[in-house]
Amino acid sequence: MLICDEYLTLASLDEAFDAMARHRGRCRIIAGATDTLPWAREGRAGDVEVPVLIDVARIPELNARRVDGTRVRLGAAVPIQRFLDDPALAKALPVMPQCAIWFADDQIRESATIGGNVINASPAADGTPPLIAHGARVELAAKRNGRIVRREMAVEDFLQGPGKTALESDELLVGLDCEALPGYGASFEKVGHRRSLVISVVCLAALVKLDATKQKIEDARLAIGGIGPVPQRLTEVESFLRAGPLTAERLEQAAEMPVALVASRSRQEYRREVVRGFVLRALMTAVRNAGGASLLAPELEAAYA
Amino acid sequence: MPDLRIEATINGRKIARNAKPHLRLLDFLRDDLGHTGTKEGCGAGECGTCSVFVDGVLLKSCLVPAAKAQGTRIETVEGLAKAGELSVLQQAFHKAGASQCGYCIPGMVMAATAALRANPFADREEIKERLGGNICRCTGYQKIFDAVELARDVQNGRRPASALAEEDAADGAFIGVNVRRLDAPSKVSGALKYAGDMVMPHMLHMAVLRSPHAHARIVSIDTSEAEAMDGVEGVITAADVPGVDGFGVFVHDQPIMARGKVRYVGEQVAAVASEDPLIARRALSKIKVVYEPLPAVFDAHEAMKAGAAVLHDYAPDNIVKHIPIRVGDVAKGFAESDLIVEETYSTQQVEHAYLEPEAGLAYVDADGVVTILSPSQNITHHRHMLSRIIAQPINKVRFIMSPVGGGFGGKEDMVYQGMLALMAMKTRRPVRVVFTREESIITTAKRHPSHTTYKMGLTRDGRIKAVEIKMISDGGAYGMSTEGVMRKAAILAAGPYAIPNVKVDTYGIYTNNTPSGAFRSFGALQTQFATETHLDICAEKLGLDPFEIRRVNAMRDGASTHTKQALKSVSLTRALDAAEKAARWEPGVPNMRGATRGDLNGEGTRPSCTLGARLAAAASPKTSEVA
Repeated sequence: MLICDEYLTLASLDEAFDAMARHRGRCRIIAGATDTLPWAREGRAGDVEVPVLIDVARIPELNARRVDGTRVRLGAAVPIQRFLDDPALAKALPVMPQCAIWFADDQIRESATIGGNVINASPAADGTPPLIAHGARVELAAKRNGRIVRREMAVEDFLQGPGKTALESDELLVGLDCEALPGYGASFEKVGHRRSLVISVVCLAALVKLDATKQKIEDARLAIGGIGPVPQRLTEVESFLRAGPLTAERLEQAAEMPVALVASRSRQEYRREVVRGFVLRALMTAVRNAGGASLLAPELEAAYA
Repeated sequence: MPDLRIEATINGRKIARNAKPHLRLLDFLRDDLGHTGTKEGCGAGECGTCSVFVDGVLLKSCLVPAAKAQGTRIETVEGLAKAGELSVLQQAFHKAGASQCGYCIPGMVMAATAALRANPFADREEIKERLGGNICRCTGYQKIFDAVELARDVQNGRRPASALAEEDAADGAFIGVNVRRLDAPSKVSGALKYAGDMVMPHMLHMAVLRSPHAHARIVSIDTSEAEAMDGVEGVITAADVPGVDGFGVFVHDQPIMARGKVRYVGEQVAAVASEDPLIARRALSKIKVVYEPLPAVFDAHEAMKAGAAVLHDYAPDNIVKHIPIRVGDVAKGFAESDLIVEETYSTQQVEHAYLEPEAGLAYVDADGVVTILSPSQNITHHRHMLSRIIAQPINKVRFIMSPVGGGFGGKEDMVYQGMLALMAMKTRRPVRVVFTREESIITTAKRHPSHTTYKMGLTRDGRIKAVEIKMISDGGAYGMSTEGVMRKAAILAAGPYAIPNVKVDTYGIYTNNTPSGAFRSFGALQTQFATETHLDICAEKLGLDPFEIRRVNAMRDGASTHTKQALKSVSLTRALDAAEKAARWEPGVPNMRGATRGDLNGEGTRPSCTLGARLAAAASPKTSEVA
């Protein structure tokens, strides 16, 4: 049970920083609340008494989303569901809708925020591998000496371990700045015990851009979660894919490459199998979504469909 | 502690209230406003019994701080139709028989409403996806999806409104025809009150202190600090039991609250009541219990060994119940066999996971009758047990059965009703307890984990000559229904097969695990799993078709069971014929396959989960309308 003496709903960043300064050491930030409320229960944190809860979900800057030619700026409190129902976001961030459709359920996606998914720093977060594949950078802000100061860093640098980030105690995660990758073929792979409301055992985001001939990968982005303490971008696989022609044999080679990265606390054997299959299937799907031909033998294609 | 000020519109009515700042929207709707159609099943966003619309968007109200309701427009299940009427979807749920226990149904109706508002043409796959956040344990979902499709078609004019109409079975026939549930309208509308929805004036809320140890002696319990807290109206422990303590479906080995020692993690040790549930919870941490940990045993086989920790003085061998069955002479049967197959099978502990966590309300009425209202599956037995425990004549004990939001056997045990009675007697005020999902899982009975060793002797033609079956079941810390479960497991162990020589032994064993008890099939599942798996293995070894080996051994009309029950008619061979046909079974040995497999991907099977029906629909817009 999450117990507080005061619940503040703030309308601006300035107000939020003032409240954080006023209640330093005795407050907790809340946005969608979909991670915090289940956390404060028996078996996890138990009953948690926080004197002041500071709700930042209604701050306009945290809800803004802007797409220009090359960048997408997402406010930290943008709900996950927007990746499904905002066509501009879906076009600029092609892997996000596929991630969103597997994320929790229809109802939780309306509250759960993209910033919350990053801040929560779960090794199994669904949202972080797609952000990393989109080259996302976190935007952090604090109020120091009367003025708001900001800094940026890559999501993979921000995430330091399960539940651990580079956030300073006076800082807020205010937004995410992503590369717009329109025209990329995308795929998001996830496995868990069921379809809805399930934590990923492994999840993988893939983005592929083909050249004009549709025979060669011009650019590839892959990021994986659930196989270690933090999600990671598969840069070696990406360079391998860019370096040669697009063939079934090379896709299978690529699928073998990240298998050795599995360093999860449990079920490593199973995850290795999953990683191999996921990379192959993600690339197969992403290539097809980018307008490429089916590459694998029909029986393999069917097996991985 | 400044209260929140919440001004909102709820089901079209404006409200303005002060509320405690820590409340969730669910608490605000249920406790402050009395909208109990919105249920709490898990409190963690997993089950969907609490779904409501906030500004037209469906949310799980257990994950929404009440403060977020400020300035919004909220719609609950009570607001879907005018008073006394049902929405098209609610009528369709009624018509399709989509409500059983009913506890998940208000949330299901809300999710279905959201689905058809978002896409009035949603096909079945999309409906499934949109309802993915809502869990049902009774229906198997098919009737729910049928109901949503029916409502969709009526709303779209594809089917007439008369498709929703009442349709009584002709000539009073009830078998083989659809009969509407009389209680469905109260369930689909959210009007039905479960125990946790009921309130009485001057009512207290009870919270329970539980054991952190699997096995420990209670050296002392000091409740003085909790009793001295402002707002605490009563504290009870085993010392408050006036009569002969002990309950259980068969052996009365479980005290209302731990007496002298605790035997499993989660066992109730003390309880506190207050008008404010938060004060009751906080008071638990003020109760000081000194434990002296004892050696514990967590495996039934270990518990049977000499020198193992003993849970109950009356059972120094840790055996709750041993049921032996002897028919014929198994040694002779094995001697006559061409093949003897031995295997071991194990099954795991299973939680019932009914959507309604345990809840109850107790009061002492004007005539001194101790009255307990709860979703008990066994009220008459509870009444007799409680009468002895509280040392009151039977006419001073009354049990009222509230609607059961799913039981499956898990609500047969008098786990909390005794505490409620004691607290109502001590405080002379109505007292309510509502378990959290976590409490429900940690405290209440589970399906027995089992370990079965199986020896079967057969002749070459597949005829079973003898079986020897030994099942060791983990009964957990208390007896609960273990004796009955062991009996049924033994009676049905050798299956519906005519076998001349049978030796069965089932053992229910005490361990320091969560108690095991009644669960659908009541012991039959564990031994049947062993028997049927074993038959498949034997068929393979003998080169026989698995249906054939069962037909060869099937009991027929007029058979006598292994416990000498005469069976006038036996439907087994008909069931086998039907199963073989439905499975499109390819005749032959189980491990041999012909050139083609007719049993895959046809009617009655479905492919594994695929990515979003909505994404697929977006990729090919023509599928967005139902053909």
